[in-house]
Amino acid sequence: MEVCRLPLSATQRGKLISAGYTSLSSLSSASASDLARDLKISDGEALEILNVASRSSRSDNAEGSHAIINGGVPGIGKTQLGIQLAVNVQIPPHCGGLGGRAIYIDTEGSFMVERALQVAEACIEDMSEYSRFLRKDLQTFQVGLQSKDILENIYYFRVCSYTEQIALVNYLDKFITEHRDVKIVIIDSITFHFRQDFDDLALRTRVLSGMALKLMKVAKNFSLAVVLLNQVTTKHTEGSFQLGLALGDSWSHSCTNRVILYWNGNERCAYIDKSPSLRSASAPYSVTSRGIRNSTSNYKRVKMM
Amino acid sequence: MTPENLLHHPFPSQKCTLGCPILDRCLSGGVPCNSITEIVAESGSGKTQLCLQLSLCAQLPVSLGGLSASALYFHTEFSFPFRRLNQLSHCFQSLYPQVFISDAVNSSKNGNCNPCDNIYVQSVHSADQLLDMMPKIESFLANSKTHFPVRLIVIDSVAALFRSEFGNTTSDLWRRSSLFFKISGKLKVLAKRYNLAVVVTNQVVDFVGSGEGVNGVRIGNLGSLCSSGRRVCPALGLAWASCVNSRLFLARDENGLVDGDESSFPYWQTTRRLHIIFAPHLPYSSCELVIRREGVFGIDR
Repeated sequence: MEVCRLPLSATQRGKLISAGYTSLSSLSSASASDLARDLKISDGEALEILNVASRSSRSDNAEGSHAIINGGVPGIGKTQLGIQLAVNVQIPPHCGGLGGRAIYIDTEGSFMVERALQVAEACIEDMSEYSRFLRKDLQTFQVGLQSKDILENIYYFRVCSYTEQIALVNYLDKFITEHRDVKIVIIDSITFHFRQDFDDLALRTRVLSGMALKLMKVAKNFSLAVVLLNQVTTKHTEGSFQLGLALGDSWSHSCTNRVILYWNGNERCAYIDKSPSLRSASAPYSVTSRGIRNSTSNYKRVKMM
Repeated sequence: MTPENLLHHPFPSQKCTLGCPILDRCLSGGVPCNSITEIVAESGSGKTQLCLQLSLCAQLPVSLGGLSASALYFHTEFSFPFRRLNQLSHCFQSLYPQVFISDAVNSSKNGNCNPCDNIYVQSVHSADQLLDMMPKIESFLANSKTHFPVRLIVIDSVAALFRSEFGNTTSDLWRRSSLFFKISGKLKVLAKRYNLAVVVTNQVVDFVGSGEGVNGVRIGNLGSLCSSGRRVCPALGLAWASCVNSRLFLARDENGLVDGDESSFPYWQTTRRLHIIFAPHLPYSSCELVIRREGVFGIDR
């Protein structure tokens, strides 16, 4: 079943299958509120599932890029999302996952091993629990993956300058050819090293566009997801100000998917700003000790824009 | 280019104790290495006290939560508080007698008889000057024959480096912002290369106006930061906030005059609280603390 290939939690997959969503096409025509109702899950979670599904379905197409840019203020959860994705991509096939590896490119030094371990352990517990539920027996189920395996399956690169970043992106092609099990590339964050003074701004734009193109090609050639985490900056226009993606002009043409993470009062929300197939919508989420999870608030409606 | 093996990273990541178990618990061990931690507070809240304390605690052996390291302390605004450091240092030595043996016989072998000797102080007046110093800083980290290697860099405060020369025009702000990323970039390179803990302090500005506007952008776990009964925001804006890995906020509030007991006069009570604004490895938490002669200590309340 196609939905088994999606990098979702085992519980989510089980619910999808029970509700009759077995193919990707059935998901692509569903709206978040339909899904939420059918699966009896929160709207936020439904939105996440649809996101993942549309990402995957485009992996099968020759057209379109599968790069997603996530932007947000410091502390909103970009790195947390990156870590969660790096862990979730590894959910093994017998728990319904992709069983792939992740490349994590850390440009800011925010990746903390103890946090990744926390998220990994919570993921394993979730998988065991779901498998126990599926098998309906009381034997402890061997998920077959330990938290230290999860850490080993993350190819972690720390880049400390823009030249290192460019070199690494150019090297990705070769690296992934030799490590075909990579299913996701996460860059946290994509613009940090480029926000310094560049004597030649035109050069910076060229370099960034070149890098974006290279990443799109990698996504397409290897059928994997590329997730770019970006900072936000304030843009002053005619007296008022707006938040925008850092160096946004260089990226706006390259990325076909854009998710903005923002604060709505005391709640973290994700907003799909740009997507070829999904309507603009926002959904709440929370950052817990176990990783990124559904918001616990009562107000869980997905807001369609 | 080969990826790092995450299993070879120390777990948990190495941290420098703050010298108090309650504060350490709030920070899950202390200030992390290979990372920039920012302490934001208004003047007189205790940022410098915490930094001085950290500079002493860095010298503790790893078994006691320290880094067995020297500290490089950049002060930017006022003259360095040598007297206070000396006072803290004496209390520190008596707290850890097993580490600081002060008799004459051992002092020739044990260069660490006076903890103040392991704190290197340098004044800095502008961002450009700090940037120009970077090569010298790096060679000091790499080559100096200090008794302990330097594993802690403190910049107190970073806001003062950007105070005078930048106006409010777009190009000024743009130039200032570029400097943020340059300085933070270089500090992170050093932090990675020499496994340093970098601590910077930052000031606050008054929050003016409604929720709209640049300063109204919520950053981190608290919707609004309050200190001394008024709403404040960290100086240097969103760009600088994107340059640090973790941000801590020290709030102070005057509770007013408290009646002393029979033997003493009424005194002014100040409550101080440390908040985690954002950190990649920490959930939100806060901790009340006090500043005494012996240093800064968290209280369980």
